Order: sequence, then C-alpha cells, then structure tokens
Amino acid sequence: MNEFLFYPIALGACIFALLTVTSRDIFHSAVWLAMTLLSIAGVYFYLNAEFLGVIQILVYVGGIITLFVFAIKLTAKIGDHAVKQTNEQVVISAIASLVFLFILFKVIGLNPWLETGMPQTTISLQQLGQSLMGPYVLPFEFISVILLGVMVGAIIIGKVKK
Amino acid sequence: MIPLGYFVALSAVMFCIGIFGALTRRNVIGVLMSIELILNAANINLVAFNTYLGTPDGLGQIFALFVVAIAAAASVVGLVLVIAIYRNGKSVFTDDYNLMKW
Repeated sequence: MNEFLFYPIALGACIFALLTVTSRDIFHSAVWLAMTLLSIAGVYFYLNAEFLGVIQILVYVGGIITLFVFAIKLTAKIGDHAVKQTNEQVVISAIASLVFLFILFKVIGLNPWLETGMPQTTISLQQLGQSLMGPYVLPFEFISVILLGVMVGAIIIGKVKK
Repeated sequence: MIPLGYFVALSAVMFCIGIFGALTRRNVIGVLMSIELILNAANINLVAFNTYLGTPDGLGQIFALFVVAIAAAASVVGLVLVIAIYRNGKSVFTDDYNLMKW
C-alpha cells in the first residue's frame, strides 16, 4: 500500500476520535465513533493485518455500534440534545490528558528502535489460525466461556422484574 | 517506510482522547464509547509491534483479537447495565447517580 496513505488515515482517526468525545449529541458521537473505528481498520490494513481489519469492521462497526445506537435510542428523552453532555471537570481533564500525552511522547522519543522500517514479513491467515488452535488454544476457549457468561449475565440484568 | 514510532504516537493520541472522554462525559454511553477508544488504541500498539518487530506466530494479532472479543463482551454488559439503571432512575447521566456513595 502507498505509504502516504497512512497520514490521512491517522489524521482522520484522531479528528474523528476528538469529535467522538466532544460532540453535543450522543447519537452524532456514535456515528463519529463508527468513523474512528473504520479509520483504525484502515490502519490495520496498512499494517498487513487484513484479518484483524475485517474483524474490526464486522465486530465493531457492524455489532457494537448497532448496540450503542440501540442503547442511545432506548434511553433518549425528548430534547435530549439540549442537555449539556460534559461535566464541570472539562478543563482539568484536558490539562491532565495533555500532560499525560506529553509524558507519553517523551517516553516514546527515548526509544531508538522506533526508527525501524517495516520488515516484509506478513503473517498469513493460515498461520494465525494454526497458532490460535495450537499454542494459544486455552485462552481461545476461555473466550467462549466469557461470552457465555456475558450472555447469561446480560439476560439476567436486563430482565424486567415482575 | 513509516517508522514504528508514528504508530505508537497515533496510539498514544487515541488513548489520551479516550481518557479525556471518559473523564468528561456525563452520559454513561459516552463513557463506554471512550473506553472503546482506549481499547482500540491498545490494539493499534499490539498490531504495530507485531508487524514491525515480528513474532513469527502472530501473537500480537491474536492478542488484538482477544481484546476485540473482550471489548465486545464488556460493551454488551455495560449497555445492559445502562438500560437497567435507566429503567430504575430514568436517567443516564453519571452525576444523577451516587448509589454507592455512603
């Protein structure tokens, strides 16, 4: 892939993420979150992780955003967009996040291996499946247990009590 | 070629935006969205390090897959909790709820 394609994707991801956390209407925020996740899928495609990009689009944009939209519409009130969406600690949170970002950039800049270019080794989907079913099969099976627990828990919590 | 540091920097920016959103949002659903942003920032790191520094069996991508699955499960439970507290208190704003404050 063209290497200059990375910059618009990364810039778009940052701008969409900022719009996600700052937009007044929570429904717009969900749409911006979908755009952010699509941009991140683009970053995965750029990093030769095609399977993960497809999974990102399927699970996040297809599933989780739909859930978010359902939850927003189920809990929305009339004129909800007029309600203030941020609390009183905006300024101090912005300062804290920027200071943390500054510290992170300082620490990232300390590392010499960050200048390394991309090696041409790509992990094929076949290899990914083999290591998922081979050495990492135990966490893979625990995922299914967690999903079962989540399903049961969601039904129990969301049940209307008579 | 894009150096590895750019991907780590992108991840750091996304992480801080997510932290900011989680601290400032009044709507609980907004807080959950910010948490999704934070998890995605961690995923970018995992995939970038896997591609550049190369584990042969693709451990970074497998970790990212697990993170995606756990994030989906977490957001499902979070949204069900949001709907449950909305049913009780008719509000989804964090400053309306101090049930656990003694």
